[in-house]
Amino acid sequence: MITFENTSHDPFYNQAFEEYIFNTCRDDDVFLVWQNEPAVIVGCYQNICREVHVPGLLARHIPVVRRMSGGGTVYHDLGNLNYTIISTQTELLDYDCYLTPVIHALNDMGIPAKKNRTCDIAIGDEKISGSAQKAAGGRVLHHGTLLFDSDLTILNQITATCKNDSFQSKGTVSAICPVTNIRRHLLRDMTVEEFRQRLLGKVLPPGSQTRTLSAEQISAVERLRDEKYRSWEWTWGRTPACRYEKEGLFSGMPIHITYAAKHGILSDAVVESPLLDGAKAAELLNGARLDPEEFFKISQVLAGSKAAELMDWLM
Amino acid sequence: MEKTMKIPKLRPEMQNGVLCAWLKNEGDEVKAGEPVYEIETDKVVNQIEATDSGVLKKQLCEEGDTVDVLSPVAILETK
Repeated sequence: MITFENTSHDPFYNQAFEEYIFNTCRDDDVFLVWQNEPAVIVGCYQNICREVHVPGLLARHIPVVRRMSGGGTVYHDLGNLNYTIISTQTELLDYDCYLTPVIHALNDMGIPAKKNRTCDIAIGDEKISGSAQKAAGGRVLHHGTLLFDSDLTILNQITATCKNDSFQSKGTVSAICPVTNIRRHLLRDMTVEEFRQRLLGKVLPPGSQTRTLSAEQISAVERLRDEKYRSWEWTWGRTPACRYEKEGLFSGMPIHITYAAKHGILSDAVVESPLLDGAKAAELLNGARLDPEEFFKISQVLAGSKAAELMDWLM
Repeated sequence: MEKTMKIPKLRPEMQNGVLCAWLKNEGDEVKAGEPVYEIETDKVVNQIEATDSGVLKKQLCEEGDTVDVLSPVAILETK
């Protein structure tokens, strides 16, 4: 088993880093640990708008990144440690062979962690880790979160309390679970850095190699970051087909909005409000990309100084 | 010759999965070993590869459909 050094905290770069190692490191078993600045990471086949309140994330400057594995939405910050295991696929897919070494490492540190549900790790009934996988070309990438000292107030606000029921769509729906931080359960306190080092030391067999990417390889990761993970096509264009409907009061007057989206492109938009030009709204929305920035520009054209308020009605 | 691609059983407990993306369109040439579609089950996204070479004649379900294990998903026209 080998590991690669990665000190980046950029969530887009780190998704690209993982995919690059998955695609290019074909023979060795790999174990990675890495961290992201505050970011929302969604599953490969999720409707972002349904899972999180997008205008709220924009206001907090928290980016949304789509990952290549399945499963639900998670919140990352520098109190959370991510791990990745890449290995050759056995005949049937399995979670236990990836979870067991991590649970053993935690137990060795005195943390009473155990497997919960299909692929979670918990202390008591509270989740400390969720995981997901991608299988392709005879190889499996398994990755998971480890809540060490995350801001659970923000995590719960983002992933649990802000679901958007106005979107009806197929796609994977996130599970909502009570969570806890590992740090609260330590016999002896340690920093997240010490936790990272100890986890590496326990999961990697003695004498395992630590590799560093060359400048050329880093450029390839950066290209993948820019061309895939930062692209609209990957993040929003992969949204499962959906229908949107919301009604209520916009600036004190009734509003009713419906539209459909397929491959992230809007159609059948109807905006009914005595304060807005419905024909103009339909013209701007039909064919538009499901994209927070594009939506905000449309809001500005339609509602001027009330653009931020209208955004809340559009997605 | 027509060959039917069926949803494989990927995990012991797997009953069904969601076909989340077609990686080949109808009419596309497919080489054995090339991925044809992606299916998600239990938080795993799996790329499913063709075992034969040919042309993807028909997609039998749409992206987003839940499909049972061993049910037909595509027809491949092989030489």
